[in-house]
Amino acid sequence: MVYEIVKLRSKHRIFIETLILTFLILIIGLFLGFYIEYNRTKNIIEDYKSFEIEALNLRLQNYYYQTIELADCDRAIQENLRFADEIYEKGLKIQKYEDVNELTEDLLLEKKKYVLLKTELWLNSILLKQKCKNPFNTISYIYTQNENFAKEAEQSAISNVLGEIKKDKGNDVILLPIAGDLDLSSVNLFLRVYNITYLPSIVINEEIVLEGFHGKEKIVQYLK
Amino acid sequence: MKTITITYIIMFFFGIYFLLLFLLLHFKNWNKLYDYPPSKRFPTITFLVPAYNEEKSIGNTIKSLLNLTYPKDKKKIIIINDGSKDKTAEIIRGFVKKYKNIKFLDKKNSGKADSLNQALKLVNTELFAVTDADSYPEKEALIKMVGFFEQDEKIAAVTSRVLVKNKNNFIEKYQDLDYNVIAWTRKLLDYVDSVYVTNGPLSIYNTKAAKKLGGFDPKNMTEDIEITWHLLSKGYQTKMSYSAKVYTTVPSRIKQWINQRVRWNLGGLQTIYKYKKYALRENIFGYFVITYVTFSFILALIGIILLARFFWLKFSNYLFLSPYLLQGYNPLLFFKIDFYFTILIIFGLSFLALSIVYYKLALRDSEKRGIFGILIYAFVYRPLYTIPLLMSIYKLIKGEFGWYTK
Repeated sequence: MVYEIVKLRSKHRIFIETLILTFLILIIGLFLGFYIEYNRTKNIIEDYKSFEIEALNLRLQNYYYQTIELADCDRAIQENLRFADEIYEKGLKIQKYEDVNELTEDLLLEKKKYVLLKTELWLNSILLKQKCKNPFNTISYIYTQNENFAKEAEQSAISNVLGEIKKDKGNDVILLPIAGDLDLSSVNLFLRVYNITYLPSIVINEEIVLEGFHGKEKIVQYLK
Repeated sequence: MKTITITYIIMFFFGIYFLLLFLLLHFKNWNKLYDYPPSKRFPTITFLVPAYNEEKSIGNTIKSLLNLTYPKDKKKIIIINDGSKDKTAEIIRGFVKKYKNIKFLDKKNSGKADSLNQALKLVNTELFAVTDADSYPEKEALIKMVGFFEQDEKIAAVTSRVLVKNKNNFIEKYQDLDYNVIAWTRKLLDYVDSVYVTNGPLSIYNTKAAKKLGGFDPKNMTEDIEITWHLLSKGYQTKMSYSAKVYTTVPSRIKQWINQRVRWNLGGLQTIYKYKKYALRENIFGYFVITYVTFSFILALIGIILLARFFWLKFSNYLFLSPYLLQGYNPLLFFKIDFYFTILIIFGLSFLALSIVYYKLALRDSEKRGIFGILIYAFVYRPLYTIPLLMSIYKLIKGEFGWYTK
């Protein structure tokens, strides 16, 4: 009888062994997943911090160009473009990270800071264009955070088209994707100024407002 | 963490658990896979062959039973004609005239389980075997099975390895892979006393034990699963001889295949419902078999829901994006897919890797054991399981039960 029980237990020990092994795989998987996502989030937060410094630098530069008449326009534009490109590239990365983020929390606060940075960049670009006689194009893409299937598809199509335009035009275009519904007063002010009631919309060179999706060719025809 | 992520992780946990269980069972017992205890006394045995409209196959089935290596005086055959409308009865009569050890039971159509029960009353041998009328046991199959009964008096049933006879079109070829996987998995379950199906093509039962239980349940759509669970619930053991091969004719058309799988699913669900009171009680049957089979259904259902969700999200994305194609949206961007390494991809890849090892081992003896065959099996054939499963649930909800074999 005792032999039977021992034999049975040793035979069925495999269920426990498998359970331990499965837990081990699960723990390793979770640990690896958390590690990857933690690093991504850490990088995003660090990026935001570096953007804040850059933005402050740009703001000061702007004051400088506004107060001193003989300032170097080319250099100012180059700085603006460099920062705009960097912020756009990082923005794409952040958006993708956020879409696939499974474990870590939403980065709403950082996102608000990021939107404000881009709004400031927009403002800076407007001032530079006025001062330096319109040397580049700005495309401000005002999108919504509250996506349903239709909105998601529409916004995905618009951002892909704008991405292609940016790729083709390079330094001739500053692309500024800005979330329009984060309840930020400075962004709301822009929406009122350009009479934007529908999200997503595109503002080209602060002159043309296009609501919803428009093909690449149509957008390009409004560029200088 | 999102609810959907938690659901996926739970699914992967159970999926990986069962895959690892089979792999560990294999690696611990790999050298015993084909072993079978030789018989010392060759107990008397009667073959029961229920037949319904089997004029094309019954003759060859009887011939293969007659050819089985076994002492002639210890082997009897009873063919049951379950009200066939074709020439089945005529063919059987021809054999009855020629061979003394063949008996013929001609009756009105009442289903397979009832036919077996009526024939069981005529059985006076120590063991009896059930063989489907479209199945053909290999010459040595019987002697590779009977020895198990001499190992332990608790062993009340021994089943065989079913392989596919007709391997011509896609559905037949991939059923061959399916049967190989099923047989291998069943043998691995044998190592933990959990053989939960004694298949219709060839299984042997202890007559006394089967009669004590009242034979087969005519209300159940899969009498072979039901009798196995009945035996296990009463403390009997069931075994499998991986060396004992039987070839069976599988459905050639997808519609037949679906009908067969619907019957298997409904029978399985009927059986779970009937034996639910034994769950998580007493022995391996209560703790593992019921849990495992029930989980298989639940996991499959959740899997279907997750798969449907995934395709719905993809489909809706393409659906809502498509109007923009007409407005100059680049078709190349339309199909753009971003890939990012996440926790679910880690689990998904682990599951995929284990599945490939599992299938590779299960299909060692199969013709399509290459990686391409495995991928087709895993990603084309296996997802077809969804159709009969959904139909089974629909029929269950509507209360529709029928005899779906033909």
